[in-house]
Amino acid sequence: MKTHDPWKRFQEVAESPWPFVRAWKKNTRRKIVGHLLPDVPEEIIHAAGALPVAIEGAGVPVRLSQNQIPGYSCSHSMGALELALSGELGDFDGMVIPYVCDTTRNLFHIWTHSFPWMTNEFLRLPKRIGHPKAKEYLRAEFARFFQSMAKLTGSDNGTEELAASVELYNRSRQALRRAYEMKLEHPAVWTSERVQTVFSASLRMPRDEHLVWMDDLPWNEPVQETGSRIPIYVRGKVWDPPHILDLLDNLGLLVVEDEIVTGYRAVAQDAVGDDPLEALVTRHVATTPYTGYHQDPEQMTAAFVDRVRASGAHGVIFLNPKFCEAAGFDTPDFRAALESAQIPTLVLETSSRGYSLGQLEVRLEAFREMLASDLP
Amino acid sequence: MDPIRALKQIKQITTDYFTSAHMAKHNKKFIAYCNVFTPVEILYAMDMIPVYPENHAAILGARKMSPEVLPAAEAMGYSMDLCSYSRCDIGSIKTGVSPTWGLPKPDLLLVCNAQCGTLTKWFEVLGRMYHVPMVLIDVPHSGSGEQDPAAERYVRSQLEELVEIVQRVTGAPLDPDKLRETIRLSRKASDLWTRMLELGAMKPSPITVFDQFVSMFPIVSQRGTQAAVDFYGAMVEELEDRVARGVGALENERFRLFWDNLPIWPELRRLSDVLEKRGASVVTSIYTWAWGKLAVDESDPLADYTEQYLYTFNLHLARRIDLYSEMAKQYQLDGFLYHSNRSCKYISQDIPLLRAAVAEKTGVPGVILEADHNDPRLYTMELLERQIESFLDLLTAQKGTG
Ligand code: SF4
Ligand code: SF4
Repeated sequence: MKTHDPWKRFQEVAESPWPFVRAWKKNTRRKIVGHLLPDVPEEIIHAAGALPVAIEGAGVPVRLSQNQIPGYSCSHSMGALELALSGELGDFDGMVIPYVCDTTRNLFHIWTHSFPWMTNEFLRLPKRIGHPKAKEYLRAEFARFFQSMAKLTGSDNGTEELAASVELYNRSRQALRRAYEMKLEHPAVWTSERVQTVFSASLRMPRDEHLVWMDDLPWNEPVQETGSRIPIYVRGKVWDPPHILDLLDNLGLLVVEDEIVTGYRAVAQDAVGDDPLEALVTRHVATTPYTGYHQDPEQMTAAFVDRVRASGAHGVIFLNPKFCEAAGFDTPDFRAALESAQIPTLVLETSSRGYSLGQLEVRLEAFREMLASDLP
Repeated sequence: MDPIRALKQIKQITTDYFTSAHMAKHNKKFIAYCNVFTPVEILYAMDMIPVYPENHAAILGARKMSPEVLPAAEAMGYSMDLCSYSRCDIGSIKTGVSPTWGLPKPDLLLVCNAQCGTLTKWFEVLGRMYHVPMVLIDVPHSGSGEQDPAAERYVRSQLEELVEIVQRVTGAPLDPDKLRETIRLSRKASDLWTRMLELGAMKPSPITVFDQFVSMFPIVSQRGTQAAVDFYGAMVEELEDRVARGVGALENERFRLFWDNLPIWPELRRLSDVLEKRGASVVTSIYTWAWGKLAVDESDPLADYTEQYLYTFNLHLARRIDLYSEMAKQYQLDGFLYHSNRSCKYISQDIPLLRAAVAEKTGVPGVILEADHNDPRLYTMELLERQIESFLDLLTAQKGTG
C-alpha cells in the first residue's frame, strides 16, 4: 500500500515553484525563461534548451507593485510584477510576455524598464485568429521567437529538437487530458482542485519529469463515488481566486469543461504535423480563442453557446478577472445568448485583491441551488 | 483673456458634420464607425463618412451628459471598469440620450488596434448590435519598435483587403484621383494642426490645451475635407497674429505645463479656471499630438499607413520618456500634469514609472491626478483641485516667485 500522498509534490510545485526551479538551474546550469499566460509556445523555449516557467500573478498579494502600476490593473499583471519586484524571479534569465491586451502590452515595457538584466521578449500574437494572413504572420513570429530563445541559451538547436519538444509536450497533454477525464469519472478522488495542481505544476517544471510523476497518480485504484454532481462550464483566464476550485468541489459543482488558460484549454489540442513550427501554428489557431482575440462578433457568441451545449454542462460560470476589459466586453452578450438557450449563468468578477471567500461561497451556493431545482 | 475667435466656428462645423452623417443614406453615402488610427482618407474617397463613437462619447462627457447614459450600460452588464467612452456609447444607444441626435447606423465597423485593444472588443459589441461587417486592422505591436518585415506584410495585406471590403459595401471601386485629392486635403489639415500645436512652444503661449481640446473635432472627424483645412487655416492665422503681438492665452503666464493622457471632459471649464487663476498655462499635451503626424504620402499611402500604425504610433514607456523629455525642453515646461485615467489603461498604466523617469531625466516634476476621462462618478473634483493647487505651490516655491 502506498504511504505517500501522490498529489503533494504537484501541490508544492504549483504553489511555490521557485525553490524547485532554482535547484533545477543549479543542477543543469541551464537557463530559466518565465512566461506570462496565455499561448506562449513552451515547446519553443524547451527546444532552445531552457526551462519554461509559467508566471501566474493572480493570487499573489501585492505590495511593491502598487508603486509601479496603477491599482486598476488586473491581478494577473500586478501579481506577476510583484513576484519580480520581491526577488522571487531572481534566477530567471528571460521573460516572455505575450500580446493579449493593452495591459500585457504595457506590462512588457514596464518589465523591460524595471528588469533590464533579463532578456525580455514580447510575443506578438496576431488578433485576427484564423485569418490566413494572421497564420502566415504567426509562423514568422514563432520562427523569430525560436531564434531569440536560441540566442539567449546560446544553442544551435533547430527543427529536429523542436520536433522532439513538440512530441514531449503532446505526450504530456495527452496525460493531462486523461487526468481531466478521471476527474469527470471519479471526482471524489480526482477532485478539480487536485487535478488543477497537476496541470499547474506541468507549467512550472520539466515536462519529462512531470510525466514520470504523473505515473504515480492513483489511476487504477478503486474509487467509491459519493453524491451526485452538477456539470458546469467555466470561462475565464485563471482560477482566481485559487480557492474557488475547492469551493466548487465542496458544493458538488463539477467542471466538465473550461476555457481557463491553465486548465483544459491548455491541453485540448495537440500540435500535429511533420513541420513542428507549422504544427504549433495550427495548434494555436485550433485552440479555443482567448477573449483577447478577434473573430466575427456574431460567430464568436454562437460558437461559445455550441461549445457549452456540447459539453453537457447545466450552467456556466464566467470567472472574469476584475479590470479585464477583454472579458468584460464579451460577457453581457455571451450571457444573453446562453440565457436564450435556457442555460443559466453566473458572472463572478473576481480578484485576489479584496474578494471575500464567504461571499463567493454564498453566490456559488445560490447558483448550485438554482441549477439543482432545474434538474429533471 | 479674449477667447480665440475662430473657435466660434466649431459649433457650426460640428452641426454640419452630424447633419451630413445623418443624411448619408439620402445622399447615397455610407457610414463607417472607426477610430483615430484608421485610413480615413480611403473612406472619404469611397463615399464613406467616418464616424467616431469615441468622439461622440467625448461630446456627451463635455456636455456633462455622461451620468445620464452610463448607468444604462452598466445595467446591461457592462462593468464600471470598462472604458467610459464605450459605456457612454452603449448607454446612449440604449437610452437615446445624445447631443447629436445619436449616431447614424453604420454600414461598416472599422478598427485599428494600433491604438488600444479596448476598441476591438467594444466594436464587437456593436457588430452584434448592428449586424454589419467588422474589419479589424490588426497591428502586431512591434515591441520596442524593431523593424518587423512579416508584420509589415501582414498589416499591408489587411489594408488591401479593407479596400475590397469597402468596395463590396458601397458597390463602387476606389477612384485613385479622388483618393489623391482626399490625401492632399488631409495633409493640409494635418500640417495646419501640427503648426497650431507647435505654436504652444511660444512664450507666452497663444493657446492652451483647453482650446486645443475644443478645436479637435475637425482633425478627428474631417481629415480629408475642405472644412478642416479652412478651420485650421483660420486658427493658425489668428494664433500667429497673437504671437506677433506677444499676446498669450493667459494674461499672466507664470507656469508652463504639460497635460498627459485624455482630457477629463466633464471638467474642462473647472480645470482651466483653477489653472488660469494661478497663471498656469497648459501649453501642450500628448493627446492632441496624437493627431499631429497623421498625414500620408500620395505615392504609396498603404505603405505609409503601415509604417505609422506599426512604428510611429507605438507609444511605449521608453519612447514616452524620451519624447516627454524633449518636449520639456521644446516647450520650456515647468511641470507635468499626469492624468492617470482608469478608463484608458492603454495610456495610463506606465504613468508611475514615466513620471519618475521624466523627473529624473529633466528635473521637471509632475503630479499624478487619478481620474477618468468621461465618468465623473469615479473621481472627486475637489480632491483634484487640491492636488493641482499643492503642485502649483511647489512650483512657486521652486521658482522662488512667491
Ligand atoms: S487579458 Fe485580462 S486578465 Fe489577462 S492580462 Fe489582460 S487584462 Fe489581465
Ligand atoms: S481605452 Fe482609451 S484609447 Fe481605447 S477607446 Fe477607451 S479612451 Fe479610447
